[in-house]
Amino acid sequence: MASNRKQKRPGAKMHRKRTLTAYMFIAPNLIGYLVLTFVPIVLSFVYSTYEWNLGSTKIFVGLKNYIYMFTKDLDFGRVVWNTFYYTIGTVPICLILSLLLAILMNQKLKGKVFFRSVFFFPYVASLVAVAVVWMALFNPDKGPVNEFLRGIGISNPPRWAASAEWAMPTIIGLTIWKQAGYYMVVYLAALQGVPSELYEAAKMDGASAFQRFLHVTWPMVTPTTFFVTMMLIIGTFKSYDIMYVTTQGGPGTATKVLAYHIYRRAFESMEYGYASALSVFLFAIVLIITLIQFKGEKRLTSYL
Amino acid sequence: MKSLKKTAAMLAGLMAASTLMTAVPALADDVTIKVALWDYSNTDYYKTMIDGFKEANPGIDVEVVEFSAAEYSDTIVVKMAAQEDYDVIFMKGLPEMSALIAGGHLMALDDLAADYDFEPYGGTEKSLIVDEKLYGLPFRKDNNLIFYNKDLFDAAGVDYPQDGMTFDEYVELAEKMTSGEGSSKVYGAHVHTWGSNVYQYARFTEEYVYNDVSTWDSLIPFYEGILKLQEEGCIQDYGALKTGNIHYSGVFYNQQAAMMQIGTWYINMLLENVPNEDEGIDSFDWGVCSLPNDKGITTENVVGGITPVAIGSYSKHPDEAWKFLTYITGAEGAQVLAKTGIVPAWAGQEVLDIFDGFHDEHPNAPEGLSKYISGSNFIVEQPMDPNGKAIAAVTDDMHSAIMTGSESIEDALKEYKAKAVEAGAAGGDEE
Repeated sequence: MASNRKQKRPGAKMHRKRTLTAYMFIAPNLIGYLVLTFVPIVLSFVYSTYEWNLGSTKIFVGLKNYIYMFTKDLDFGRVVWNTFYYTIGTVPICLILSLLLAILMNQKLKGKVFFRSVFFFPYVASLVAVAVVWMALFNPDKGPVNEFLRGIGISNPPRWAASAEWAMPTIIGLTIWKQAGYYMVVYLAALQGVPSELYEAAKMDGASAFQRFLHVTWPMVTPTTFFVTMMLIIGTFKSYDIMYVTTQGGPGTATKVLAYHIYRRAFESMEYGYASALSVFLFAIVLIITLIQFKGEKRLTSYL
Repeated sequence: MKSLKKTAAMLAGLMAASTLMTAVPALADDVTIKVALWDYSNTDYYKTMIDGFKEANPGIDVEVVEFSAAEYSDTIVVKMAAQEDYDVIFMKGLPEMSALIAGGHLMALDDLAADYDFEPYGGTEKSLIVDEKLYGLPFRKDNNLIFYNKDLFDAAGVDYPQDGMTFDEYVELAEKMTSGEGSSKVYGAHVHTWGSNVYQYARFTEEYVYNDVSTWDSLIPFYEGILKLQEEGCIQDYGALKTGNIHYSGVFYNQQAAMMQIGTWYINMLLENVPNEDEGIDSFDWGVCSLPNDKGITTENVVGGITPVAIGSYSKHPDEAWKFLTYITGAEGAQVLAKTGIVPAWAGQEVLDIFDGFHDEHPNAPEGLSKYISGSNFIVEQPMDPNGKAIAAVTDDMHSAIMTGSESIEDALKEYKAKAVEAGAAGGDEE
């Protein structure tokens, strides 16, 4: 505002001072972000045009890494497919489950606080611990899940993480278990922000519980849904830690996702330039999805 | 305000004191060498060796920088890429050493080693030579053996496994030794989840080498044999072991498996963990034999890995670092290692005597162990290759695909041979 006017206003100095104070406040975080996140991101764009094994010589190769990615990398197609499989398998289920849990926890329920903590617990627990428990539950020979399945007469239950077909669903299940509690809390906050007059009005008009959900709750929490969807999609695209502690991308390449492929190429195969190119590709996908979502959010929440 | 001044004065005093304290060693004109390794704080022999070295070399101090064991291989490569000035670098094996050499991060030792006596290393140092330059000294060597539980064999009335038996005989023996059900089941053998627990058999006869895919078909009979055992329930299932994160050591200590193929470091673990007969109920006698094969080879071949130690390219004190290398990989260091049951690469008579003497102190250990660690033909499981880490990653993927039955042996070989060639292995058709 102040910059629009050429004449000095009495408040201008004050304003500048305030701006400066604001900058001072964000500076520690901003500097950290610039040095530790932004610069490395820019550098990875630069490195993606080099061949570099982390040694002292870097060779400029132009777009060769990208051409290699699409034409020669035998794992690439599988890895991209796995990444989408993982994301599409995880996001909708996690979203619906966390919303349902939130609605449940928003009711007058005995022991609500206890159940909230129970569902939130996997999120705060260490991933390694949660993964070990999950893998033990789904152990193909001695796990309780398969014991139960055999007990009810399924003689050949899935071999879960030890089979190429079921490994990804097992990981997806683990991810949902770990994440749903957190998004439940996010939804809970959104649900408590829905004005009770709306429900009262709907009730007066004779709306059933399901209609109230469909026409009051769901539209009112749409911004949260967008937030949750976006965080989940970005999270699943980036995730490699779950595969790292459970299957190491196996059996074979069944659970090797893009981020894990990047890790392997960078730190196991020492192809730093190529790994940078892969991460630029990952960045591009996430960017495109995020942009589409932003557009969609503006359109779909314009009534609010 | 007054208290603030007081604090400031105290701080100044502290700072002065601490500069004085750090100044003391500098006066003595000491050199400090920086050593990168893993598991330092929970491995006693490092401390014993370093103390011994410091005593023998007054004026050289040793600063240990310890990294997490699981990520050490990756961490050290990244650290060296940042040109950090480690003088001495321990490595877990040759793949990461190749990566460090390819990056120019290790110093060639030929000048320092001009008058050095390599005889006691028994040729293991040759695998540390790249382009006719020596880049390290071998610290430990570990070769794979079949460990077996004598008590279980005695109870079943079955003869112990023999040096030079065929692989089919080994499979039969595992079938014969499997008994029981549920929690009291004894498996005939235990096959841990590493690729080496299968491909080591083919490497033992030098038919297989990981970085040449034209040799990979030699793996077929071994995968067939191991998969057969798995289907028959004579070994624990790969998938269950992998998802359960089950460590091989407990399976053998708890007498759940009659035989197990694993490296010689297990001698150390057995000595430390299997109690003598009068000390605990879990006591049992164990023995070892060389790997089964169809060529009649016994203890003359040994196959396994070498743990090298090297000097960093950005070292400020290479001469002192060399002294450290020769101490820990030489006679003194070797004996410290050997006493714990770890096989040093330096294999003088002193070391062999220590291994032969284990039976006296630990009656459940076999006699004459030295025979199994001193074969004249040491075959390195993964010879150095600048693309070694990438190729090894491919063989790991293949192993999990085959062992979980996700792919047939033939399909997996076809798919992963192509991937290995793409990662830089030899033997592809295009070459």
